[in-house]
Amino acid sequence: MRRLAFVLLAAAASAALIAALASRGGSPSAAQASSHREAPLISEDPSADNTDTYAFRSPDRPDTVTIIANYIPGEDPAAGPNWYSFSPSARYVIYADTNGDGKPDVTWRFRFANQAPVAFLQNTQQKYTVTRLDGSSSRVVGSGLLTPPDNIGPRSTPNYHALALAGVHDLNDGSKVFAGQRDDGFFGDIGSIFDLVAIREGTGANGGGKDFFAGYAVHSIALQVPLSQLDNGSNHVVGIWAASDRLVTKVTLAKWRGRKVLKSDPDWRQVSRLGNPLINEVLIPTELKDKWNASTPDKDRQFEQYYSSPILAKLLNQLYPQFGPFQETNRSDLVSVLLTGLKQPNLNFTGDTAADELRLNLGIAPTAPVGHGNRLGVLGGDLAGWPNGRRLEDDVIDIAERAVGGALIGHSLPLGDGVDANDVPYMATFPYEADPFSGFDNTKGQQKP
Amino acid sequence: MKRLLLGSAAAAVTAAALLLGGAFSSGGSAAPQTAPQLDRLGNRFALRARETGDASYYARAEAAYHRALRLAPDDLAATIGLGSVALSRHEFRRGLVLGRRAVALSPSTAAGYGVVGDALVELGRYEDGFATFDRMVSLKPSVSSYARISYARELLGDVPGAARAMRLAVDSAVGEPEALAWSLTQLGKLYWSNGRLGEAAREYRAALEIRPRYPAALNALAIVEAARGRRPRAIALARTAAEVLPLPQYVAALGDLLHGKAARRQYALVGAIARLERAQGVNVDLEIALFDVDHRIDLQRTVELARLAQHERPSIDGDDVLAWALARTGGCREALKYSRLALRLGTRDAPKFFHRGVIERCLGNHREARAWFARAHRTNPYWRQP
Repeated sequence: MRRLAFVLLAAAASAALIAALASRGGSPSAAQASSHREAPLISEDPSADNTDTYAFRSPDRPDTVTIIANYIPGEDPAAGPNWYSFSPSARYVIYADTNGDGKPDVTWRFRFANQAPVAFLQNTQQKYTVTRLDGSSSRVVGSGLLTPPDNIGPRSTPNYHALALAGVHDLNDGSKVFAGQRDDGFFGDIGSIFDLVAIREGTGANGGGKDFFAGYAVHSIALQVPLSQLDNGSNHVVGIWAASDRLVTKVTLAKWRGRKVLKSDPDWRQVSRLGNPLINEVLIPTELKDKWNASTPDKDRQFEQYYSSPILAKLLNQLYPQFGPFQETNRSDLVSVLLTGLKQPNLNFTGDTAADELRLNLGIAPTAPVGHGNRLGVLGGDLAGWPNGRRLEDDVIDIAERAVGGALIGHSLPLGDGVDANDVPYMATFPYEADPFSGFDNTKGQQKP
Repeated sequence: MKRLLLGSAAAAVTAAALLLGGAFSSGGSAAPQTAPQLDRLGNRFALRARETGDASYYARAEAAYHRALRLAPDDLAATIGLGSVALSRHEFRRGLVLGRRAVALSPSTAAGYGVVGDALVELGRYEDGFATFDRMVSLKPSVSSYARISYARELLGDVPGAARAMRLAVDSAVGEPEALAWSLTQLGKLYWSNGRLGEAAREYRAALEIRPRYPAALNALAIVEAARGRRPRAIALARTAAEVLPLPQYVAALGDLLHGKAARRQYALVGAIARLERAQGVNVDLEIALFDVDHRIDLQRTVELARLAQHERPSIDGDDVLAWALARTGGCREALKYSRLALRLGTRDAPKFFHRGVIERCLGNHREARAWFARAHRTNPYWRQP
């Protein structure tokens, strides 16, 4: 300790000398030039992160298909001044595969631009362009479209519902579009799942869970497409998934050692994708997540083993031996539900290509207004819900737990997380997801009755 | 905290807890038991270290990662976490080994290449380092990879290209306040390096909109305000930065703005903090060598410290600091050798040009010296040797 004090004094004495010599004073040190830069290493990249994808025949307009692609998890309505927005340098994409080969036949690309002042200084309305590709021919089907602002509060964004509905636009290919902030239609007891799938009460079939998504918002891109544009006329199954891309830009694009790199087309790389829910989170192991997110569905055979030997089944055996045994391997039932479509019973089979898509059989009519279908979808006897496409009200956590538990192979258990519906009702009409809570009157983490 | 949990929850975490890799005990207990839980704990400690400047959190992060690796020896996140902490401790050779192990465990995961590339760059192995960053961005463009591309371009003297890449980093950090404030600040520093004060200040202020007491932006804005001659404002900003995050460079910058006893008090603090960091296993040789030589503190000893630092870290910054220390102690012939190394990439950095000018003058090459001083001035007319 004394030694330390001595050294400190010595340093101070030399400092006195240089203070006298310093040229002008008032010119801070160059010391930071050589400090290691500590760039962030792991990025969640929320603004390009798919949270959920939905595809269903619109109950109020059954001659159309609604596709909803949600991004940016866990938007806190009171997050000001850090408001949320689509990333202007990302490309958001919705894909439709009409022939079951895992490759897109119709593609919609969305690019967003901030308006001055930039988003985090409170102007959260963005302009966007929609480009549609059929096969390889592309055309702009909407441009100069506006998102509604984020729901900041009754003084900043009064009459929010009207503002939001003004964000529904017609595209010139016969579809409708909406892009902007919405209440997160997803529901689930993430807190309990996070804690080793701790089901709060019994098997979770009787409520009592806590909806950790209550009160949070997402950024949503919704399309309502004429059914005829997606119906292949034979098995009537269309596969849907959503993704986001970012630009690759390299060091070597700069002049380096006289090397010159020719300017080429922008090099996009997919950084996130989502067809069926919970796949990246539950089935794909950590070391393959970047690869899975960068891959296209037509190459999903490489991931089949993670669908056929789900870690969740192993976990259920260890946590709930009294309900077991749960089959841990050779789960062809899960492979068919998630990668090829169901053949037995014939619901939405698209052939042998393994591709993670939401497969929607367009021949099956809507069974209830939005929000009122059977939450267990096909498992509950309602063929218009997941895994036939996916509706907002489909309780995918319960369905997934039961399916992994063996519901399709004669091992039916009423597993669940005890959260059976969203905290706020959906709208009956496009874009269906509810208005987001405002920053002013937000409320989060409600206890379910 | 809730934000942090839910921010990642929907997308990444739902069942990171489910991905236990076989390493879990029975449910319901409070202490983290599984490798993924320990990884998250380690990441939280590492973030705490970054946010508070308290290097003792590094040891706690490492302990969590080591426990994870005992449960799951091939755990990727723990390996990447350990590599990242090694880099933060400026143990670049160790970081390189851990980064390579992470890449071997998962060749498709971008973050492992970040650890490898950072280590290579700090070890002066630029060609390999830049190729690694190219690989990283091809696997996953993100704020993390764009920031590294930007740094590589800056090192190569392409400041506009560096700014373009950092703009992409800013764009892709939306929704992650820490990363957003960081990349805005870096973008501002790129403008500052060219003497573009207004644009630099604009980016720093944008960072402070996101995080009102973000120390890196406060410190950088203080430097701009000082260059504009607004000394009281600069002192207030620099003081807040040093209070929020007492890193040696922030404390030194505050000292440089003050005079007499007040300045000496800050300079003494720099040494004390450096000793604390060393006690926590953070190697600050290069930073302290530069501080000491800039402030003419114990120059003979400082040359030896700079030699050691350059040996541990043969980057252009290691070369430059050694060149500068040699120049100030009369070893100008040898200084020239290291200054040439320091400028071998074509980096446009006013202090490095200025140091070269001093070396040339010392060698009697007055025409060259004037040319280097002019170059330093053209690059950033506002930069001053403290």
